[in-house]
Amino acid sequence: MIREIIQYPTPLSLEFGVNVRQFNEELFALIEDLKDTINENNLEALSAFQIGNYKNVIVVKKEDGTFLELINPSLIAHSGKITTDEKTSYYGDVSAEITRFEKVSIVYQDRDAKDCSLQAEGDLAVVLQRKIDYLFGATFIQKMSADERDKFESKLKYGTDVGMSDYCPTTFFRDKILKAINILMIFMLIVVVGSFFVKEDAILQTLWKYQSYGLIGTFLLHIVYLFYAQYEGKKYVSCSSCQIGNIIGTTVISLIKFTLLSIASYFIIYSSM
Amino acid sequence: MARLVVLGGGVAGHTTATFAAKWLGSAHEVVVVTPNAKWNWIPSNIWVGVGEMTKEEVTFDLAPVYAKAGITYKQAKAVSLNPEGNESSDKSFVSIEYTGQDKTGTIENLEYDYIVNATGPKLNFDATPGLGDGKGQMGNHTVSVCTADHAVHASHKLQEAIEKMKGGTRQKFLIGTGHGMCTCQGAAFEYIFNIENELRKAGVRDMADIKWISNESFLGDFGMGGIHMKVGGYVVSSKLFAESLYAERNIEWLIGAHTSKVENGKVEYELLDGSKGEEEFDFAMLIPPFAGVGIKAFAKDGSDITGTVFAPNGFMKVDANYGAGAYENWKASDWPRTYQNPTYSNMFAAGIAFAPPHLISKPMSSPNGTPINPTPPRTGMPSGIIGKAVAHSVCDLITKGDSAHLHEASMAEMGAACVASAGKGVFSGTAAAMTVYPVVPDFETFPGTGRDTDYTFGEIGLAGHWIKHILHFLFIYKAKLNPGWTLIPE
Repeated sequence: MIREIIQYPTPLSLEFGVNVRQFNEELFALIEDLKDTINENNLEALSAFQIGNYKNVIVVKKEDGTFLELINPSLIAHSGKITTDEKTSYYGDVSAEITRFEKVSIVYQDRDAKDCSLQAEGDLAVVLQRKIDYLFGATFIQKMSADERDKFESKLKYGTDVGMSDYCPTTFFRDKILKAINILMIFMLIVVVGSFFVKEDAILQTLWKYQSYGLIGTFLLHIVYLFYAQYEGKKYVSCSSCQIGNIIGTTVISLIKFTLLSIASYFIIYSSM
Repeated sequence: MARLVVLGGGVAGHTTATFAAKWLGSAHEVVVVTPNAKWNWIPSNIWVGVGEMTKEEVTFDLAPVYAKAGITYKQAKAVSLNPEGNESSDKSFVSIEYTGQDKTGTIENLEYDYIVNATGPKLNFDATPGLGDGKGQMGNHTVSVCTADHAVHASHKLQEAIEKMKGGTRQKFLIGTGHGMCTCQGAAFEYIFNIENELRKAGVRDMADIKWISNESFLGDFGMGGIHMKVGGYVVSSKLFAESLYAERNIEWLIGAHTSKVENGKVEYELLDGSKGEEEFDFAMLIPPFAGVGIKAFAKDGSDITGTVFAPNGFMKVDANYGAGAYENWKASDWPRTYQNPTYSNMFAAGIAFAPPHLISKPMSSPNGTPINPTPPRTGMPSGIIGKAVAHSVCDLITKGDSAHLHEASMAEMGAACVASAGKGVFSGTAAAMTVYPVVPDFETFPGTGRDTDYTFGEIGLAGHWIKHILHFLFIYKAKLNPGWTLIPE
């Protein structure tokens, strides 16, 4: 059956290649689908990942029209370097210069689960390396130098980030809460310093009143931050769980500053009334 | 008054003994039998191996710590087990041979009510000709970072190599695994990047050729099937990450390799595709494969029952399914939960000392039939968790009787975290912090890779490097039983 090939800008999945454990009809059907899709689109090779299946299966169409079926392929040895102009069906007609190994040694299993190996060089070596990378959820973009990547990005309509499924953002809404906390604390610090220059009790009392509101508000904002930040972090599966530690750490540091500010406010403003 | 004997004072044994002593109090006796006088925080041996830390910083004396905890400490190695006693007594006992405490060579029969085998592995250097000296110790062609003393030796050899490079002689470094059935690729991975970092610091990087050789089936496998990592906001597979890291640092690599022979300045290897080759070196750090420490077991009548108590690789049999068969039939439930020996219920194994039911990685072998695949990693975190669960079970058995419920800790239900760092400076280092859940893939709960991809993740950066520093101090603090030690997780 001809299957749809995932193409840019549809993001590639964050799953990665799963070793085939059962050599059964399901696997054979997948191989047939890959062959049909290769023929229909006139391609030289396809990895199962490109049609949305996460099994470690690659099918390559040889020059004589027969197919090479590689199950659980693994690149174990290599030599030399070769830079070619590559295209891949994920990015359609956009090409890029990629440097890869010139000769590779690959071990794999055939459809009878027999261990096999092959040595490839030149074009076949390049195709196999590109297809194996797909099994790990990667396109050739991960193989580009920084310059080549910038050049390639400019050729793409939506840039390269779109290709990253559900990537972990670098800015969060929670950072805005933190910013608000910091601004509030700076204001309150100004009030503390300013109170040195105030002698009238009435003004000090007013200052203390607003300062206490500010302190209570800031404390509540810390609680909001702590819970919202964790909720926000868990929304993105690609953000590591290390961020929970970061959030707790940030909250603790901020609370220390807050405690110091509260003590200073109490002793400097309240005590001098 | 019951007696619990713990064999081994590594992460698993130390955790079991210290928690058992705390929970049982002075009403019962806890005995630790370990041939070592010092406790060693093994992950930091990497830093000792490049001369960034001293042996003293990663070890401490066990005797004062055990004295404080009320644990009887015997510096000895276990030789044999008599779980049914002998002809004159029904009481189980273990024969130990002292290695210190002024009684070196003395044999003692130590009776026990419960025993926990947490000996860790034997570093099986002799599995590869030339890697060992033929007498069970490391040979003189390569170095290792498996023990603190090995790491000190490695750092001296590294200094010699650096001096030679300063004198204008090129040096070839070969780092990786010394056998097709090794585990601990992460340690070698960490070491190769620390070496690279040291050579750059010494200004001799251009005089060095560095090569990685390992039994992994793909670069970035780390013996656990690889993970996805977050690098500077991008998500990338550990394979792609490792490939670009090796390319960026100009380190050559060879994987799917079984080191078949080591000679002076040369290794011979066999690859998964059946081809054979040679690699020359001036400095080589090759991790040895692990095996059980070789304790024998005897029945009451003196007959050898080692095969009943231990698996062929020398690790102790526990409540695992050892008859799971081929790769396609493997299940998470094959893995042990209580770590109790199926024949003798007063016998447990924790940490590396228990026999795993099968591999974690896909089994692979070369056309010549040589198996080449990583064996199951059992790092500090699972070892500590298992050690604590076993301590809990034994304490309940002692205080509540034989019907007590055993505590469970399956490696198919626990995660592991590991930090691999390059460089030791406060601002100069970089590290990969990785978490894996579950350690043993559970294909039924998580179809596909068998792992929860939300919790199987890595991150690169300076913060990971700090975590490694913090862990170093935290775990040594905990192992010394300083105030609040029970609050620090395994």
